Amino acid sequence: MAELTYRDAVAAAIAQEMRRDPNVVFLGEDIAAAGGVFKATQGLLDEFGPDRVKDTPISEQAIIGAAMGAAMTGLKPIAEIMFSDFFAVCWDLVANQIAKTRYMSDGQCSFPLVIRSANGGGSRFGAQHSQSIENWAMSIPGLKVVAPSCASDVKGLLAASIRDPDPVLFFEQKSLYALKDEVPFEEYVTPLGEAKVIRQGTDVTIVALAAMVQRAIKAADTLQESHGISASVIDLRSLVPLDTKTVLEDVSKTGRLITVEENPRLCGWGAEVSSIVSEELFWKLDGPIVRVTTPHIPLAAADALEDAMMPSAEKIIEATLKLVD
Amino acid sequence: MLEKRAYDLFMQNLIKGTSHLSIGQEAVAAGFGAAMRSDDYTFCTYRGHNHTYVRGTSMTSILGELMGRECGLLRGKGGSMHLMSMEHGALGSYAIIGAHMPIAAGAAWSAKYRGTEQVAVCFFGDGTTNIGAFHEAINFAVIWKLPVIFVCENNRYMEYTPIEAVTAVKNPAADRASAYGLEPILIDGNDVEIVYETANKAYDRARAGEGPSLIEVQTYRHHGHSRADPGKYRPDAEVEEWMKKDPIPNYRQKILEAGIPESEIKALEDKIDQMIDDATEEAKNSPTPPVDIAFIDVWADGGASWRN
Amino acid sequence: MNIIMPQLGETVAEGTVSAWHVKEGDQVKKDQPLLDVETDKASTEVPSPVEGTVVEIRVNVGETVDVGATLAVIDDGNLADSKEVTEKTADHQSSSNDEVAIQAKKDHVNSPVGRESASGVLSPAVRRLIAEHHLDPSAITGTGRDGRITRQDVEKYLSAPSQTQEPKPSAPSSLKPGSEVFTRVQKITAEHMVHSKTTSPHVLQSMEIDFSAVDRHRLSSKDQWKKDQGTSLTYLPYIAKAVTIALDAYPRLNSTIADYPQNPSLSINGEINLSIAVAVEGNELVVPVIHNANQLSVSELALKIKDLSERARTKRLTPDLMQGGTYTLSNNGSFGTLFTAPIINQPQVAILSIDRIKKQATVIENETGDSLAIRPMGILSQSFDHRAIDGAYSGGFLLKLKSVLEDSNWQDIF
Repeated sequence: MAELTYRDAVAAAIAQEMRRDPNVVFLGEDIAAAGGVFKATQGLLDEFGPDRVKDTPISEQAIIGAAMGAAMTGLKPIAEIMFSDFFAVCWDLVANQIAKTRYMSDGQCSFPLVIRSANGGGSRFGAQHSQSIENWAMSIPGLKVVAPSCASDVKGLLAASIRDPDPVLFFEQKSLYALKDEVPFEEYVTPLGEAKVIRQGTDVTIVALAAMVQRAIKAADTLQESHGISASVIDLRSLVPLDTKTVLEDVSKTGRLITVEENPRLCGWGAEVSSIVSEELFWKLDGPIVRVTTPHIPLAAADALEDAMMPSAEKIIEATLKLVD
Repeated sequence: MLEKRAYDLFMQNLIKGTSHLSIGQEAVAAGFGAAMRSDDYTFCTYRGHNHTYVRGTSMTSILGELMGRECGLLRGKGGSMHLMSMEHGALGSYAIIGAHMPIAAGAAWSAKYRGTEQVAVCFFGDGTTNIGAFHEAINFAVIWKLPVIFVCENNRYMEYTPIEAVTAVKNPAADRASAYGLEPILIDGNDVEIVYETANKAYDRARAGEGPSLIEVQTYRHHGHSRADPGKYRPDAEVEEWMKKDPIPNYRQKILEAGIPESEIKALEDKIDQMIDDATEEAKNSPTPPVDIAFIDVWADGGASWRN
Repeated sequence: MNIIMPQLGETVAEGTVSAWHVKEGDQVKKDQPLLDVETDKASTEVPSPVEGTVVEIRVNVGETVDVGATLAVIDDGNLADSKEVTEKTADHQSSSNDEVAIQAKKDHVNSPVGRESASGVLSPAVRRLIAEHHLDPSAITGTGRDGRITRQDVEKYLSAPSQTQEPKPSAPSSLKPGSEVFTRVQKITAEHMVHSKTTSPHVLQSMEIDFSAVDRHRLSSKDQWKKDQGTSLTYLPYIAKAVTIALDAYPRLNSTIADYPQNPSLSINGEINLSIAVAVEGNELVVPVIHNANQLSVSELALKIKDLSERARTKRLTPDLMQGGTYTLSNNGSFGTLFTAPIINQPQVAILSIDRIKKQATVIENETGDSLAIRPMGILSQSFDHRAIDGAYSGGFLLKLKSVLEDSNWQDIF
């Protein structure tokens, strides 16, 4: 076991997989010599050399296109999109090409690639560098979507994503990069599509993702201590594949569901989860399903404004108190 | 001729949707097809029936795909615009303008990384030279010295608009080559021998590790942009002039003059006609694909599920 | 504040604690269920009359104590006042039951009207459970916001042992093979029957009634009734109405005898409260009461009967619905019996059995000549206490009853 930061876990996972498989290559802007603008990929150029760890020009379409071409001809590329907001620059390659070509070709090829990016707010970067765009990816058939909440999950899930034979969009929450966690030294893989039940409660199920998980845990603690409300906290970890089973099992016990989403309100992942739960567990619900999200407004830059907009432990507690009798 | 058959079948409503014929541009695909090796990669656009066929796929599978039948190259899942045959190195036809250029660069990168001598060739139209991906891909290929050949088939029209009206330079690809440190190459795309020679040079350069090439071939399409387009925006005189430069009859004349007997040529033509007829029959008789194939192969394991 | 054993029915003198929902030291809110008690007549939840802490539980599950005995003590901040109040032991004699009933009623907690879910809103989970288990939501205490019934409330309600049918039978000493020990309910019922027969000299008198006038209305209305209410429109509400009219004319049948044989007196009841005998599962007879039945129309009586039957079947009759009956109707018609000699429900003086009503050939007398007609005919049989009235009086009552049933304009009084 080592205490590792979220960012170091990224580099650790990539290094682990590159050692293991010579076909794993890595490209992106400032990822090699500079070790990444978030310092998440330090040491990789030194260990694996410029043939495998490559700095690129500012050419998102070229980066992702190259990853796709390499993936369909025998390599296992990892591409970085520096800020997830920049996916908008190369969305054609992601949504139209990578996501669909296997299907259109009647299964002739597959794309074992990972595109990792720094996602989400809390770092005061302003509206164009702070978006949570997991739901953009979730809404395109053919893409797998992962968003870890802690360093140990980063290592396990990134390893799994690199080994996955399908395209995976790996969303690292940029405000979590310094978050420390106990991470095992040895090689391990955390399967995609498995949610983690962090707390088991009886009165309400709180489902959260990435940076929202810590806030949900904090809220659950306060709810127990100060209000006697026992809340489950589930870290979804993957949006595609989605572990609906774990969520359904817990909500059928508690009868109540709250989702905590960093994304803006409309079409966030919680909308899909709510829809599934309300359809499949309607007769077990003892109260309405509630979504706690950032409002449907671009994220402001100033720290006080950004903090006021994003879901917080207080907002989760408030929503729970309104929901639980 | 395969394309002509496709045209006929479209008129008979056996081909649905849309289809982009490259009748009149055959020399390009043929010339490069002869120059490349079987393990090289091709990337082409939605106007790619010939480019795919030239890699060795069957006529039946192409016609079948156009008609949405089970014998189709993609069993009807991709359609005319997305013909691909991985086993033949035809790494796909791409419908979003320019998208396949960086993908071709990626395939070239993969070949270089793996140390094979494979080269990727990427065919696109004059209109593509104005989209972002064109510029990103060429710059990228140059700085990484990738074994990729970018071939611009300038048929003088970007969909319905003359290319000069929308391009800052006269020769949309050749005049941009120097912007990327590449030698400008501009050739007559209707002379299959010239195309073949130019292609060979580019392949040699790539295999020697000298990096990419950008080649502009001047050609013309006899028909409209797509099946929906009768091409009436082109002046009649222009069309007439280019019809005289039709590569197939011109080449036929050339080899006749070079001494190949008429009877041999005729026999070849007859054989081809027969092949086309047989392929057409076979494709027509092929059933529509079973509906359940629509629900598989999103993922590498054949599945399509997003949840448990 | 002392929580005492309530009296569930005027002839009931004791009760058994069947389940506790709280323990010593628990904080309780007003109307929160404390325990379940059971008598031979009914089972019911006892809610807390106050908010406070349970400081003492005196009677354990399975123990039987007299009506009025203290079951538990709650500290509501007024502990000094709640000394031993009235721990009256009930007198098994029926004559003193009225007194006991009045006294116990004073000390008894208010009937738990607070069970009506204040907001009335039922969540999907709650609705499903209620539908599955055929519950009456008004009998479930809601602990949710605004008194709403939560899923936990329903689950708790369902798991409460008072929902089970039988109390545990006492261990048999030496039984012949194949014999059944009397349950507590059977024992007490037997005692009451013996007591009634040995108290009142029973006389049986019957009257044959032609129900065609009733049927003219009933048959034309029953489909709409079924659509509106979901239940069948039977003869019972018509008969009940007729009985109240007849009792009004013959009030001595609606009375009670006091202090027999020392200083006997007959007191006529101020109200006409009809006891309706309802058979429930397990061969039990439950007799809920329609108070002031004479003030209700036939349709109102029908609705009341429906409500009471459901409550009886789901064991949710409250004490006030079990007490105060002054005349009893026993409906045996479903068995097809001709007539029955029912046993009087003490301390009443008469009881009417309704048996089968069946189409029969009957002779219609006419000035122009007799004819045969097919009419729905039924026999109403009254057992009366010959200490209170005689045959002539009873006969007059029955004749009145007959004429009301056969000659009323049911459309007007429905």
